[in-house]
Amino acid sequence: MGLETEYVDDTKAGQGQKNKVKEEALYLYCVADGGEQASLGAIGISGHEVYTIPYNDICAVVHHCPAQPYQSDNQEVMKTWVIEHQGVVDMAWKKWGTVLPSSFDTMIKGESRDGAEQNMKDWLKREHENLRNKLDKVRDRAEYGVQIFWDPNVIAQNLMETNPEIRELNKEIKLKPKGLAYMYRQKLENLIKREMETSADTCFRVFYSRVKKHTGDIRVEKTKKAEQNLQMVLNLSCLVHKDKYAGLGEELSQINQMKGFSVRFTGPWPPYSFVGGS
Amino acid sequence: MEPTRNSHATLVDLLDRVLDKGLIIHADLIISLAGVPLIGVNLRAALAGMETMIQYGIMEEWDKCTRTWESEHRKARRAAAISGEEVLLEIPGSYHYSQGIYTAWRTGRIYLTDKRLILYNPSFDEVLFETPLQGIKGLTLEEEKCFTEKARKSLCLLLDSGEIARLHTSDVPGLKEAIERRLLTLGLSWQQIPGLSLQDKKTASFLIGGEEVLCQGETWHLAISHSQGIAPSQNWQHGCLYLTNRRLCWWHDFERRLEFEVPLEHVVHSILVTNECKAAHTNNRKKVLDVIYQGGCGKEVVSFSGDHLMSWERELNRIVSSEGIATNRYPELADPQEEIGSDAVLQAPEQKRKLN
Repeated sequence: MGLETEYVDDTKAGQGQKNKVKEEALYLYCVADGGEQASLGAIGISGHEVYTIPYNDICAVVHHCPAQPYQSDNQEVMKTWVIEHQGVVDMAWKKWGTVLPSSFDTMIKGESRDGAEQNMKDWLKREHENLRNKLDKVRDRAEYGVQIFWDPNVIAQNLMETNPEIRELNKEIKLKPKGLAYMYRQKLENLIKREMETSADTCFRVFYSRVKKHTGDIRVEKTKKAEQNLQMVLNLSCLVHKDKYAGLGEELSQINQMKGFSVRFTGPWPPYSFVGGS
Repeated sequence: MEPTRNSHATLVDLLDRVLDKGLIIHADLIISLAGVPLIGVNLRAALAGMETMIQYGIMEEWDKCTRTWESEHRKARRAAAISGEEVLLEIPGSYHYSQGIYTAWRTGRIYLTDKRLILYNPSFDEVLFETPLQGIKGLTLEEEKCFTEKARKSLCLLLDSGEIARLHTSDVPGLKEAIERRLLTLGLSWQQIPGLSLQDKKTASFLIGGEEVLCQGETWHLAISHSQGIAPSQNWQHGCLYLTNRRLCWWHDFERRLEFEVPLEHVVHSILVTNECKAAHTNNRKKVLDVIYQGGCGKEVVSFSGDHLMSWERELNRIVSSEGIATNRYPELADPQEEIGSDAVLQAPEQKRKLN
């Protein structure tokens, strides 16, 4: 945690360490689909001047800063940085139509500013074919987050009414003496739990295929703890053509109307989930 | 359905993407390789929730802050649970909770306010027990064996609902005194109820309002089961016989419920018999107490075995005659006179609490 303790706020971040050879760096926001040299103004992290390093028909959208990653213990500062990062990517996305967004704190260094710029250019040159392919793949497409939740209470209630085995057992309990009824209730709870798991698997498959047919590409993300009493059964990142997203929205509305289910639909995001790897 | 990108609500979605994903530079010149995951984790932790933070062990400061906040908050919540009341005594304690076959001591903080007695669990913001002070009709200290087999005192409260509530705390007599002091200040009257035995706990679960136990004792009950095609089988079950001012009933220990009950006016007669056949498998006792009562289909007989049967017989018949029900002798059964010699030294069934 040495770095963290040294750079506690954004005024210190990015400043070189005194007893080290001073290096310069370029902070990369994204690679955009355009070969022009341009300046986007002081819209970068902490108000840095954002400009492009072009190579052939593509360019890197960058700002110049000391070769130190942005780190802070202050969460508000970090949050602001991330939102600023996203702001630049959005701007470039609007301007050039297609971008490959990079992760936060992606930087290329050099001995001087010129050196760093040269290194960035070399990288673009070396990776040109790969970057070009990726740009073509995500052209006219955006990423959407799709998260489907269910309310376990509603689902369990539904199982009680529709599952013959559970219904039968539930009926039997009422006829049992207290002690035995307790055992039966345990049995019922286990049965409901098992059926819920089976049901979740089924939901996953059904919803996955219903969503997938509207997408060009799809990533299954880890499900997370949900708010309130809901459980997340499906978490997807979808790459969707701009003409197709209405169809996806329609599909999701239908799922959203199902009793006990709800959908979170976010985006459009730059295609963060579809530009990684080589 | 339209997608949203409202920056606040979807911040986590944005972070997932900006921190975990995106273009990766494969180059020697990249500087942030070590930095990125650290930042990612750190920032994520700030927004993702406690589990992640603890998992990465980087939130000690945060944890400390949260604990401080929590303890402040707890005070605030306590205030909410008993707002507008003056707390006279606050002490950690527990309440004996019993519902169906489930019983447990539930712990929290006991608050004696100017109006109520409350057991509150601040962690779950749950009131485990409460009664207005006017609802307390009697108090007693009770010794009982707790699960560690050590005798400890608990405070029994008789509530106006007829329920008996049990509370335990480190200073039970102190709690009792504090409650009594407050009752006195309020000008309320209460009773010192005599100590209850462990057995009595059961009665709380089946006694009807106004009903009181006159006699009780450990007895065996003869259960006869009739199944088709097979001769009826009989089986002695262990439990406790209760004679109340309304009913004669028998509590089955194993099932933990009343297996038999008959209103006193339906009891016709009780008689002690020597019955080798019936008594065959009950602790080598040869005597059986048969109680004849008016059942759903004419006169029926229920059999009990155990200690103090003669006293039971006497007590039952006394009740029956005082109820003005004709007492029929059954001359064909063994003459009770014969028994006196051996049974005369037996004590009467324990005289039970009377709330006077």
